[in-house]
Amino acid sequence: MAETKEKSLSDEKPKPRVRPIVRLGIFLISHSFHFSVVCCTAGVLALFLLPVLAKNTYISENALMPGSASPMLSNQHVSDGNRLVKDLTNPNSKSSETGIESHKIIAQYMLDLGAEVSFHKFHPQMNQFHPLHFFSSPDSGKIQENYSCSSYGINTVGIIRAPHGDGKEAIVLVTPYNALKSGFGEALSLGIAYSVFSLLTQVTWLAKDIIWLVADSQYGEYAAVAAWLREYQTPKFSSLSTPNAEMCPDVNNLFELKGHSISGSKFSNSFRRAGTMASALVLKVRDQNEQFEDTISIYAEASNGQMPNLDLINVVNYLAVHRQGLRVNVEKLWSLLNSSWLKSLGEIFESLAKVAKSLYPKWKFGIPATEYVEGTATLASSLYYQALGVPTGPHGAFRDYQVDAITLEISPKFSLDKVWRNDILLRGGRLIEGVIRSVNNLLEKFHQSFFLYLLTSPSKFVSVGVYMIAFALLIAPLPMVAASLYVDANSSSNCSKGDSSTPSAITDTDEHSIAIRSWRWLNSAKLVFIVHLWGAIVSLLPYFISQIPDCSPTTSFMIWVLLSILSLLTLNSVLASPLACAKATQEKEWALVKSVTISSVFIGLGLMSVINFATAEIGALLMVPMCLLAQPLKLDVRAGTLRSFCRMICNLVLGHIAFPPAAFFLLKGMLDGFGNANVGDFWMWVESLWAWNSATYLFIVEVTYIFSHG
Amino acid sequence: METFINPKSLFHLLLLPCLLLYSSIAYNSSPVEAAMHTNNWAVLVCTSRFWFNYRHMANTLSLYRTVKRLGIPDERIILMLADDMACNTRNKYPAQVFNNENHRLNLYGDNVEVDYRGYEVTVENFLRVLTGRHETAVPRSKRLLSDEGSHILLYMTGHGGDEFLKFQDSEELQSHDLADAVKQMKEKHRFKELLIMVDTCQAATLFNQLQSPGVLAIGSSMKGENSYSHHLDSDVGVSVVDRFTYYTLAFFERLNIYDNASLSSLFSSYNPSLLMSTAYYRKDLYKRRLEEVPVTNFFGSVMETIHTDAAYKALSRRNSGRFEDEMSLDQSVHHIKRRMLIKVNDGDEIHDINPEGEEGASKCPWSTFRNKFQKAENVDSLLNYGLVAMIPLLVISTWLVQ
Repeated sequence: MAETKEKSLSDEKPKPRVRPIVRLGIFLISHSFHFSVVCCTAGVLALFLLPVLAKNTYISENALMPGSASPMLSNQHVSDGNRLVKDLTNPNSKSSETGIESHKIIAQYMLDLGAEVSFHKFHPQMNQFHPLHFFSSPDSGKIQENYSCSSYGINTVGIIRAPHGDGKEAIVLVTPYNALKSGFGEALSLGIAYSVFSLLTQVTWLAKDIIWLVADSQYGEYAAVAAWLREYQTPKFSSLSTPNAEMCPDVNNLFELKGHSISGSKFSNSFRRAGTMASALVLKVRDQNEQFEDTISIYAEASNGQMPNLDLINVVNYLAVHRQGLRVNVEKLWSLLNSSWLKSLGEIFESLAKVAKSLYPKWKFGIPATEYVEGTATLASSLYYQALGVPTGPHGAFRDYQVDAITLEISPKFSLDKVWRNDILLRGGRLIEGVIRSVNNLLEKFHQSFFLYLLTSPSKFVSVGVYMIAFALLIAPLPMVAASLYVDANSSSNCSKGDSSTPSAITDTDEHSIAIRSWRWLNSAKLVFIVHLWGAIVSLLPYFISQIPDCSPTTSFMIWVLLSILSLLTLNSVLASPLACAKATQEKEWALVKSVTISSVFIGLGLMSVINFATAEIGALLMVPMCLLAQPLKLDVRAGTLRSFCRMICNLVLGHIAFPPAAFFLLKGMLDGFGNANVGDFWMWVESLWAWNSATYLFIVEVTYIFSHG
Repeated sequence: METFINPKSLFHLLLLPCLLLYSSIAYNSSPVEAAMHTNNWAVLVCTSRFWFNYRHMANTLSLYRTVKRLGIPDERIILMLADDMACNTRNKYPAQVFNNENHRLNLYGDNVEVDYRGYEVTVENFLRVLTGRHETAVPRSKRLLSDEGSHILLYMTGHGGDEFLKFQDSEELQSHDLADAVKQMKEKHRFKELLIMVDTCQAATLFNQLQSPGVLAIGSSMKGENSYSHHLDSDVGVSVVDRFTYYTLAFFERLNIYDNASLSSLFSSYNPSLLMSTAYYRKDLYKRRLEEVPVTNFFGSVMETIHTDAAYKALSRRNSGRFEDEMSLDQSVHHIKRRMLIKVNDGDEIHDINPEGEEGASKCPWSTFRNKFQKAENVDSLLNYGLVAMIPLLVISTWLVQ
């Protein structure tokens, strides 16, 4: 292919002087095959090199000064926290069926410290699919009409005002708590938060208010936090909450009881606010654990692959490791840890680095193979969760309001022992205290460090400048191939015309035919557009399907498939019929179609990389080879050579892999074993994606379209 | 009507032009040599904001305390603090500033007069203070009212780099600006000697452009070096003092106002391994030998005492001293000349062995001049000239009297 085009180029363009950049472009286009092979390989290789290229994290904001102050949390505060844990785990407090008793206990404890306390009642909002809300901010102030008094949650909120502060900023501490079936871990997390809270009521150095949110997690941790945040960020000026309170006497009762029991206290029925949130910490303690030492896991991914500022993670990591002696974890794809091919790849990189170092001692980029494997596993999970766009914890709700937040999950070593409990209360409390004191020192929002990064370990990261190289290499061949295909199609049709018609006719119709030919790509564009349209329809269908009541995932999936096929047929008959006959007349049109497809994919991926890098990267990994290899099956069958046969096989395999359901099953099969794969699972997965308005959804549309085309 | 000239009024008439003449000669003869070290000023500048720069304010306040202890009065210290750490909400000890983790000494006690605070500390205001080009509304307490007999200590701390010092996180003072301001000061006779002490990273580079005589400069670090903080106060949660300043203070803590330690002993007290940087001093513009200059020449206010034998001389000297004080506060252009005159007179007095008791006891300083003119031989010729010059005046006055 390349050779022929080169020839045709040299025939057509005998121009003596061409600008070097143009010449380079022509050269690349003419060698697009080699170029694309080299670039794609380099792109994939660069992706695997990322763990090696990861840099150590550093605290970039001067004002933070983590660990510069010695912790003030003493055993007195720890015993306070212990008291609360005991009261909460006491079976008497669990008697009430709504768990109101334990909320009262927490509120009472907060009041005793002199904090402002209020209850926030919320109705869990069902996750709903809003197809047109991909990029809009989370829906605010939406008031649901159909409340039922039985289903509501109660968040308990305590606020400490900074003694000398101006009250313009606040730090939020969140502890999810399910009053109905709380484990010991949840009670312990409340104990830690309480001990920190009791310290913070006494200190003089607060510059920001402290909000402690005990989020009622009986309808999910995320829902509770999101409901509170919605209320916090969008003040309602109409008093709609009062009729609701009247309708539900239970809650009213609770409020009244509180109001009466403590006269002149800081308890209030209305929603309490503090200043702008500087950052938020979600604290959890895991119930069961198999670890050998106290570890703390950091969850950072918010919706659509947004990450909190790296400085926040750095501060937590620094304080946990260097001050409290806790081991810090970030999420890994555990299945990758044992894969032998990664290990061997790591060994290859290690030995390469050794060679490089022996050649030139200043080259120090090698990391040990085990570290490489761990880094890759972390990187893969980082990529996966960012690409999925589903928050990994309640902290995701904060990111929607541009508040930097992370979830800290402490998994303690033993359980039940009293000494151990005090120890974990002390260390966890001191960690939280340190982070709060550090954030308290901030003068501005977090802005110094990175927002676009992938973690390869808690203390190593790959920044946007590095990982974009891999992506750029991967998609670089697309425009080249598109251009070369376009040039190819044009010149070949030109040649055929020249053969058929007489020389006199050429001069006559030359300009006219050129004009027509140069617009011929519009036909292909139309085809591509129709397929895109179909993809959009397919992706919107689930919204309507989900309106059907009482549908099991499997049946709704079936309905979806049926409707999709139906819509394709309809579209084809309505819109594509003139196109079909055009296709019949010109067999070579496929090259133009491919060229248009590839350019649209290029544009799509480029845009997607701005919105959500991880999605674009994974998408590029799947789509770029497919786009480059795509060839009508008929042609391959007709050619009958070994090469075309291989290409055909590749196409079929790739096409099936990249089809979202197939990809999902394959992944699931690899991770969990093929036994429990189910069509319904895919439905659930897709449903969870809509719920988060994920950009991944757009990607799926794209893939669907490509497949239908290929 | 009788025409007579009162001998006393005649004498006064004579005196005035003589004085002018005499003083102009005195001034032209030796402009620089004649200026003596007569007073001390200090300009102490902390240029950085924000809580994490606590130490810079602590540095400046420590030096403020030191120079005050060594005798520079508050009205001769211009203290510029770019932020208020004492009342920062993050301060665990409200309204207190410490420069040591032992918290023994509260630097922000009762007697701290901050002249420029917060956003007033700008490069513009700093240069205005140095050069004395203020708007008319600026009160005297915020002006550097030094004269050509002043020794000025200029202490600056903050974040700096190659040939600049950052002000307020938004501006820079460059070495050219500083050199230019110092040159203007020199031309306006605003100092006799100037010691610039800078505690920032790459402090030495800030002195590169200086070229005015009488300037001595010391910086905490050479080009390419950082200046480090000394220690962290884990109670307050910030670093509280910089190394260079810490060891400067350690040097001065041993001294009192009567000590005679020289500048060279101060400069040699800096140990590069303790500072973690190399203190650099530039003395090519400075004439005197550092071994002979006591530190109190800059960091305190200890004047050279001139010994006289007789009691009445001392009295007259005290008078002239007081007079001089009044003068130095005067803003008129003439006062330079007049002060010169006094000085020369003082010199005369010292060399004069012949006592004149009843005249010396006079409270009026002008009487001493009259004595001079009546008895000194070397001014005879001057007197004659004066008389000649007086003739037209005399004629006019007699004509007026008639």
